[in-house]
Amino acid sequence: MKSIQEKKIVLLRNFNGDTLRKLTTLAPLWTLLILIGFFSTMSDSFLTRPNFNNLLVQVSTNGILAAGMTFVLLTGQIDLSVAALMALAGMISTQLFVDFGMVEPIPTIAGLLIGLLLGFVSGVISARFRIQSFMVTLAVALIAEGLTLWSSGGHTYFEIAPVADFLGSTWVGGRGTGVRLMIFVSSATLLLAHIVLRYTHFGRHIYMTGANPTAARLAGVNTRLVLIAALTICGFTSALAGMLNTGRLGTALTNPENSFLIDAIAVVVLGGTSLMGGRGGIPQTIVGLLIYGTLRNGLDNIPTIDPLAKEFITGMVLLVALVANVIMGGRERHERG
Amino acid sequence: MRTPELSCSGVRGHARDHVAASGLIANTMTYTPVLQLNGISKSFQSTQALKGVCFDLRPGEVHALVGENGAGKSTLMRILAGIYQDYDGTYILDGQPADLRNPRVALQHGIGMIHQELSVIPELSVAENLFLGNQPKTSWGAVDWFKMRRLASEELSQAGFDGIDVRRPLSDFPLGIQQVVEMLRVVRSGARILIMDEPTSALSPGEVERLIELIRSLKVQNRSIVFISHFLEDVLRVADRITVLRDGRKVATLDRKEATAGKLISLILGREIESALPATAMAPHSDVLVDVDAISADSFQDVSFQIKRGEIIGMYGPVGAGHFDVARAIFGLYRLNSGRITVDEELLPDGFEAPVAIRHGLAYATESRRQSMFLQNPIYQNITLPHLRRITGVLPCRSREIEAAVGVIEQVNVQPPNPMNVVGNLSGGNQQKVAIARWLTFPPRVFIVSEPTRGMDVGAKNEVLGILRNLRNQGVGILVASSEPETVLAIADRVFAFSRGTMTKAQVNDGITKDTLMRLI
Repeated sequence: MKSIQEKKIVLLRNFNGDTLRKLTTLAPLWTLLILIGFFSTMSDSFLTRPNFNNLLVQVSTNGILAAGMTFVLLTGQIDLSVAALMALAGMISTQLFVDFGMVEPIPTIAGLLIGLLLGFVSGVISARFRIQSFMVTLAVALIAEGLTLWSSGGHTYFEIAPVADFLGSTWVGGRGTGVRLMIFVSSATLLLAHIVLRYTHFGRHIYMTGANPTAARLAGVNTRLVLIAALTICGFTSALAGMLNTGRLGTALTNPENSFLIDAIAVVVLGGTSLMGGRGGIPQTIVGLLIYGTLRNGLDNIPTIDPLAKEFITGMVLLVALVANVIMGGRERHERG
Repeated sequence: MRTPELSCSGVRGHARDHVAASGLIANTMTYTPVLQLNGISKSFQSTQALKGVCFDLRPGEVHALVGENGAGKSTLMRILAGIYQDYDGTYILDGQPADLRNPRVALQHGIGMIHQELSVIPELSVAENLFLGNQPKTSWGAVDWFKMRRLASEELSQAGFDGIDVRRPLSDFPLGIQQVVEMLRVVRSGARILIMDEPTSALSPGEVERLIELIRSLKVQNRSIVFISHFLEDVLRVADRITVLRDGRKVATLDRKEATAGKLISLILGREIESALPATAMAPHSDVLVDVDAISADSFQDVSFQIKRGEIIGMYGPVGAGHFDVARAIFGLYRLNSGRITVDEELLPDGFEAPVAIRHGLAYATESRRQSMFLQNPIYQNITLPHLRRITGVLPCRSREIEAAVGVIEQVNVQPPNPMNVVGNLSGGNQQKVAIARWLTFPPRVFIVSEPTRGMDVGAKNEVLGILRNLRNQGVGILVASSEPETVLAIADRVFAFSRGTMTKAQVNDGITKDTLMRLI
């Protein structure tokens, strides 16, 4: 029998080993720092307050999407309907306000609910009939896209619901000098997601379901419910992101901006969350988000770069960053017998 | 021979003398080993898995590798198969230093490996599995199905397995056949050295018999076999030489003639022990905990029995007899077609699932550790998952989780007892202890365990059975499903024999012999 004192020492030593390992797996963080350093020296306008605000605004919509996407990817599933749900939520709230004259907050609540509902539907169908979420959410994406187009009759709306407008265009602390409200909404969403994933039983169940669904079931985790919940959360965050985007543009579009889908998945994976599930989390997603944002924003701030080459450069840097993640993060250790 | 040899100089000469003296290998003119490892050391982070181990393999020989879990068998095996390259020492193949960069290169050199967890593809047909990667082609370049099926049938019947429809998916066949198919495939791909990891652990006695036949026929073809096993009985039947590892060192290499089970066990454990497994004798309480009433499912029919407080029931049968599915069904993991299960006078609802079973105080540890564990997560997370809410209240709390885990880790004696260790880095026996420990944070009313001791060494086996006995003495009802007669006889108060999906016999274990048990099924 070891004394309590000895046990504490053992735990402490391991805690140190743990933190050390975490630092080395934070390869994406180094990528981020290198990018920031690079753009700071290459551009005078990059490291300025207005540009910093600008960068954060650019990533805040994606941040909300990525928060929900993190839940889904951690369970080892994927959600391809986020961009379509964004557009649908924005359109529904706009139409309820403009065409049906409903008073806020009904249009906004309805918009958020439709995202939640379709996420729930994806989850139930995927879990109940064991169809891969890849296919189910692809079908739901088409349904949402079709609904948006059908209900709007193909018209882009230039008048939008007040809450969306408020969320997307308000400045806290004065226009130009303060900070955009969007940034707070996005940060709050990411923080809440982090708390749920890291500090609740549900969060642990998400991780364990992704790490080994059979084992989770054997330990009494209701893995179907976990999957349904993850897709429902992702549906909700998509709708919220849709509200913000509509507000920022001041316009409800009839077509989803599909780059949002790719970007949301890209930032989560770039941060180090595994597409196979079970590993990663919101801190990783935030780092991924900032890498992506810095890269796009930074390139805009170097006037000598041909604007037409930006996509190409972004792709190349992302590829290098992904490989660097794997090399620096180290391979999984072999089992011992 | 008891002292570990760190230097291997002279081993070859020594081996030659030995062989010449015993005249074991008559069919080879020279006694040059096909494969020779000299002074192999290998460490993982802080643990040294192998310390200066020497090993050699002669043509047409079965060389068994035995030792406790964690003694270094798997590590040595992986070095042999080219899975690990970063070790100290030399690897000599056919008299030349070998550079096996990966398992594929090893296979090109004729070294094939048959893992404990088979790498067959259950959805494909028997023939397709047999010819995986090199199907016979027609002159058009398409797969020649007729030729493939004919050749597959021929090869199987040559190996002694007649009447197998090679068009049916492999998953239709028992594990024994699947293993034979994997072996034949490895042999087909040109392997002259086969490394077999625990080949008999999942097989029924009849299947073991046929496997041993197959191994003998491979020997005749001058192929060499490294046979890694915990089953000393099987080792003694099949091996020409036996190497014992303990704590990463080679303890001895014995000729078959000088080896006995008792001698091997004392070499493995490093101490003498009187009997392999202690017997049980204890009067159970009389109140019924679980009442299983005429349950039927796809793989078993009309099974009825009761589990009383403080008794251990042993369900024994060959693989495929249905008793493992009975165990799964009681925990809500296998769909029942009819019948009722009552726990403490509460009827479990139709189509109940695992969470309901857990709420009723049932616990289940499966036969597959890979299926039930989170190998990349720390021990404490593996342990606390089923009872997270009860351990920590509304929100998870790491320190309280670790506290709970440390308690049960001590109870089952996981080595090393560090809750932060990643489960995938533990040896098999220790993984099994963790699998049991996760249900002990809140002792269950009924504990269902499938193959509690599969692939474990004598020491770990005794420890695990001891844990189950302790639980029994605390009034837990225990249901063990196993295809190892020794395990069932060592632990069960009552034995239920299963055969082809029905319960053929229930008998109180008042010193049943293995012989009697085999006759019950």
